[in-house]
Amino acid sequence: MTSTTSTAAGRVVTPAVGTRGPLLSAPRRRGANRRRLLAHVLVYGAVTLAVIIVAFPLIWMLLAAVKSNAQILDLRASLWPSQFHWGNIKQAWDSAPFGRWFLNTVVFAGAATIGQILTGMLAGYAFAMYDFPGKRVLFYVLLSGLMVPFATVIVPVVQILGDLHWLNTYQGLIVPNIASALGAFLFRQFFLGAPAELGEAAHMDGASELRIFFNVYAPLGRPIIAAFGIIAFLQNWNNFLFPLIVVNTTSMEVLSQGLSVFQTQFSTNYNLMMAAALIVVAPVLLVAVLAQRHIVEGITLGAVQ
Amino acid sequence: MLTAAFSLLPLGMLAYRSLFSGGVFATTLQYVGLQNYSNAISQGGAHALEVTGIYTAGFVVLAMGLGLGIALLLNVNLPGLSRLRAPFIIPVVVPTVATALIWGNLFAPDFGFINRTLGALGLPEADFTSSPSLALTMILTFGVWQFFGENVILYLASLKTLPVDVIEAASVDGAGPWARFRYMRWPLLRRSNVLIWVITTLTGLQTFTQIYVLTNGGPNGGTTTALYYIYNQGFVQFNTGLADAMGVILFLISLGVTIVQVALIGRGSRRD
Repeated sequence: MTSTTSTAAGRVVTPAVGTRGPLLSAPRRRGANRRRLLAHVLVYGAVTLAVIIVAFPLIWMLLAAVKSNAQILDLRASLWPSQFHWGNIKQAWDSAPFGRWFLNTVVFAGAATIGQILTGMLAGYAFAMYDFPGKRVLFYVLLSGLMVPFATVIVPVVQILGDLHWLNTYQGLIVPNIASALGAFLFRQFFLGAPAELGEAAHMDGASELRIFFNVYAPLGRPIIAAFGIIAFLQNWNNFLFPLIVVNTTSMEVLSQGLSVFQTQFSTNYNLMMAAALIVVAPVLLVAVLAQRHIVEGITLGAVQ
Repeated sequence: MLTAAFSLLPLGMLAYRSLFSGGVFATTLQYVGLQNYSNAISQGGAHALEVTGIYTAGFVVLAMGLGLGIALLLNVNLPGLSRLRAPFIIPVVVPTVATALIWGNLFAPDFGFINRTLGALGLPEADFTSSPSLALTMILTFGVWQFFGENVILYLASLKTLPVDVIEAASVDGAGPWARFRYMRWPLLRRSNVLIWVITTLTGLQTFTQIYVLTNGGPNGGTTTALYYIYNQGFVQFNTGLADAMGVILFLISLGVTIVQVALIGRGSRRD
């Protein structure tokens, strides 16, 4: 299709170019088109190959999850399941408290994300709209918080949580994660661009500062909330190191952590291991497909500094 | 303000406690000066930093190269091509523990897909957990597979902001794809390159989950990165002082990377 358009375009262009000299004679033009078509085929081919390589491990998981363990171990067996053992998924689900882990992950990731959106909006709003003493210093602190890996401070954070007797609790998981430097930064950028007249008008009508924030400006931020929220949610959902050091009782573990324990318990039941991985991956995969646009936006937003 | 409390307080505590000896929850601390730092360096810390350096260097080169390469391909104006960016995001967002488990199976001795392929090609099979360099290779391939999609998205976004008409004009003037990339797109991507370099480097420095799942830092500390060292010393061996000292070192390295970024971008914009 593209080649025909370019041929058409070429025909329109040729006379005009021809007046300048024999730059593009008809046979050369045809040769260029053929080269172009070849280049397009190569581009499609390379991208398709890359997609296959990227998707392969996940496809491998899907297939292995419904194979018999014997087929996985049999070197002569085909990669395609000779028989579909759908029962593997139920068996994996029943061999560990996945329901409880799922609930823990929902509570942790949900609460932490809502916290990050709220604190990010409030802090970003304050940075954008108000002048207060120490604003510059605090902003630099915020920027450094953006860059410093949270992971470097895990030891002292766990010490604080231990002093508070918050280990193995939801608040221990959630509270240290309710502030996000990235969130504050993104919302600051957004509110800097928001029209100040709206707030002034509401102020004249006698609205309080908090009302102005919640009723006037917060609703404007919906696109940022969606883009930042989905990225923050996925990050919290996939957080492994933090729950690993804060929680050590089975009933308080999150999905990622539970799965790593499952691995050590079923270290030779490769089909059950892959079925368990599938259980953990499936909900995120669904979210990723549905919210693809917001995820791309969130990734891009986070990098525009 | 809250952010400040949560990032500064632990950081201060970290720097302070790195000068003392005592367990995670010890109530009495003994001042040991810089002893923890010298102990950390002599007790595997230097090796951990070396592993972190090798891993991060490989990670940055591969994840940025593949990210830019695929983004350039996806940026070609062909029907349906932009839809193919979606699969590259999936490894970035699905839980690392699960995908690392898949990696463990793919790279398993005997029945793993990689060894099957090696065997089918008549090449010797490899036990990827048996030698430090093979184990680090396995961790690196996973890291790159998982993360480079984010760079694809970032490069694609910056390529879209480049002036299309100028590049098309160059194409009409006879500039080939390589010339258009080398002399037009590459210089314009400078700012994005620095940014993506920082994001990729910080991600590489923080690699943890796949090491925990696949190798536990072994064999012989061959995959013990700085962060895994912090975890192992702090929460497995309970040498908190060593973990804190390494925390400070890793923090300073991350800060250094960021400062370089600010300096590079500042210089670039002054020149513009």
